[in-house]
Amino acid sequence: MLKLRLFRNLGDQELSFPPEGVAIIGANAQGKSNLLEAIYYLETFRSFRGARVEQLIAFGEDVFRVAGQVVSGNDVGGSPTEVAAAYEGSSRRRKVTIDGAEPERIGDAIGRLGAVIFSPADMGIVNGGPVRRRRFMDVALSLNEEGYLVALQAFRHALAQRNAALRSGQLEAVVRAWDEPLARSAATVMGARRRWVSEWRDAFRGYYEEVSGGDSATMTYVPKVAVDDLPDDGIYGACRNALDVRWAVDLRRKSTSAGPHRDELLLALVDGESAVEAREFGSGGQCRTVALALRLIEGDSIRRARQSAPVLLLDDAFAELDDARRERVLGLMGQDRFGQVIITAPKESDLPLQGDGLPRWGINNGQICA
Amino acid sequence: MSVIQQLIKEFSRLPGVGSKTAQRFGYYLLKRPREEAFSLAAAICEVAEKIGPCEVCGNFTETAQCEICSNPNRDEGTICIVEEAFEVGAIERAGGYRGLYHVLGGRLSPLDGIGPDEISVRPLLERIRSADGAVKEVVVATNSSVEGEATAVYLEGVIRPLGPKVTRLARGLPVGSELEYVDGSTIVEALAGRREM
Ligand SMILES: [Zn+2]
Repeated sequence: MLKLRLFRNLGDQELSFPPEGVAIIGANAQGKSNLLEAIYYLETFRSFRGARVEQLIAFGEDVFRVAGQVVSGNDVGGSPTEVAAAYEGSSRRRKVTIDGAEPERIGDAIGRLGAVIFSPADMGIVNGGPVRRRRFMDVALSLNEEGYLVALQAFRHALAQRNAALRSGQLEAVVRAWDEPLARSAATVMGARRRWVSEWRDAFRGYYEEVSGGDSATMTYVPKVAVDDLPDDGIYGACRNALDVRWAVDLRRKSTSAGPHRDELLLALVDGESAVEAREFGSGGQCRTVALALRLIEGDSIRRARQSAPVLLLDDAFAELDDARRERVLGLMGQDRFGQVIITAPKESDLPLQGDGLPRWGINNGQICA
Repeated sequence: MSVIQQLIKEFSRLPGVGSKTAQRFGYYLLKRPREEAFSLAAAICEVAEKIGPCEVCGNFTETAQCEICSNPNRDEGTICIVEEAFEVGAIERAGGYRGLYHVLGGRLSPLDGIGPDEISVRPLLERIRSADGAVKEVVVATNSSVEGEATAVYLEGVIRPLGPKVTRLARGLPVGSELEYVDGSTIVEALAGRREM
C-alpha cells in the first residue's frame, strides 16, 4: 500500500501493489519515474535522480507526503511497517516516521523498505566523476552497515569545519584540532568501504562476465590515503600521518587534501592482460553493463543484510543493451534475487520479458489506473 | 504590530517553539487568570535582573561568584570545563564531583566564525596561570559532538604547557537536549572513567 499526497505530479492517490509487482505502461512525462522516485524516497529520503527535496513538491503546493506499508519478506503474516515521509517547503521541515514514531535521526529510518532502483541515470556512476562512485558506495553502505552513515556525517562535518578554519586563516593549533575527529571518522568510513569492495568484487566480476557473455571487469577501492595491507585499526594512524605530511599543501590551498572525500572506486574493463578504466574507454553497452553489475551487488548486499529479497524498481533501465545482454540481465534478476518488481516502460512492446507475468497498470498525467 | 502579535513573536524565538506553538502559548495566557501571566512575567524579569555569569567560572549566579566557586569545601585543584552553564547543573545533579568548573560559553566552530577568542579560553588560561600550580587537573567535559572533540583537543594543547594534567571524560558529555535524558549515573561513570589525553 502506497499513499501519495502532492508528490510531483502524482496528486492524491492510494495504490495497492500486487505482491508479485506490477508493470506500469505510459507515455513519457506522464509520471512513471516520479512514481518510482516516490517509492524509493521511502528507502533513502532522497531523490534517486538527485533532485532537491523542494523540487518534489507538486507545483504551487507547500507540502508533500509519501507513506508506504512495508512487509519484509521474512515475516510473512507479521504486521507491516509503515514508513512515512513528508516535507514542508515554507518551514523547510522534513518529517519521517516509522509506524507513527519519529526516529531520533532520519538516518535511523533509512533502508526500511529494502529496494534497489535501476535507471538510465546509473550510467553516471560509471562515466561521471569520482563523486558519483563514492556516493554509490555511501548509499550501499548506509543502507547495510550499522554506524556507517553516522561516521560519514561526522567526517563531512569535521572536514567542513577544518576547511573553514583553513580558509579563515586560524592558527595552526585551531585548524589541527580537527585532525583527531576527522581522522577518527575517516578511518571508520575507509575501513567500511575497503571491506565492502573486497567482499563484493568477485560477485561484481561474476555479474559483469555473465551479462557481457565473456568480457570481464573489476572493481577496486583506491583510497587517497594509502592503507594497502594495514589492519582496520591502522587506518586512523595512516590518516593522521597523511594530514601531517600534507599540512603545508593544505595550508597553501586552504583546503584538506587527503581523506575519504578523495577516494576512488576504480571500475576497469579487463581484456586478457590489460585493463582500462571503464569511465574513459568503455562503450555505451560496457558502461551500462558495469552499472547493472553494481546495482546487482547492491541488491545482494541488501538481501544479505536484511535476509529478505529487496523490491526491484526498474525505470527503463535497459535502453542501451543489445537483446542478448538484456535477456541475460533479466535471467539474473529472475533468480529469487529480488522480491516485488515494479517496472516502467513507455509501450507494452518495450517491456522486457520479465514483465510478462505481471499485471499491467496505466499512467496518464500522474493518475495511475490499475 | 498588536501586543498579542508582539508576544507571539517573542515566544517563537524560544528554542523548539514554532509559530504554531507560540500562538498556542499566547492564547493560553490570555485565557488563564491574569495573575498567572503576571507571575510568569515577574519570574522572567527577576531572572533577567538577578542572574548573571559568575566572574570566576561563568556559571549562572545571583552573586558575583557562584555557589560553587565560593564554597570552601570544593577541591580547587580540579577544574571541569563544560561548553554551557546548564551543563554545570547536570553534573552537579549527578553528584560525586567535588572540583570547580569553567564554562566556555560555546565550542570551536570555524563554520560559524567561532575561534578560541569567541569563547572563554583566555580567562581559563589566566585562571590556571594565576592559581600558580594549585590547579592539578583539568577535566575536559565538552560534548561528544565533532565540535566538542575538536575543542577538547585544542584545549589540551594550550593547557598542558601550563602544568596541570588534562583528562577527558570516558565519553564526551551528551549534546544539548540529549543531556536531559541521561541519568546521573552515566555522567558519574563518564567522570570516573576519565583518561589523560
Ligand atoms: Zn563560579
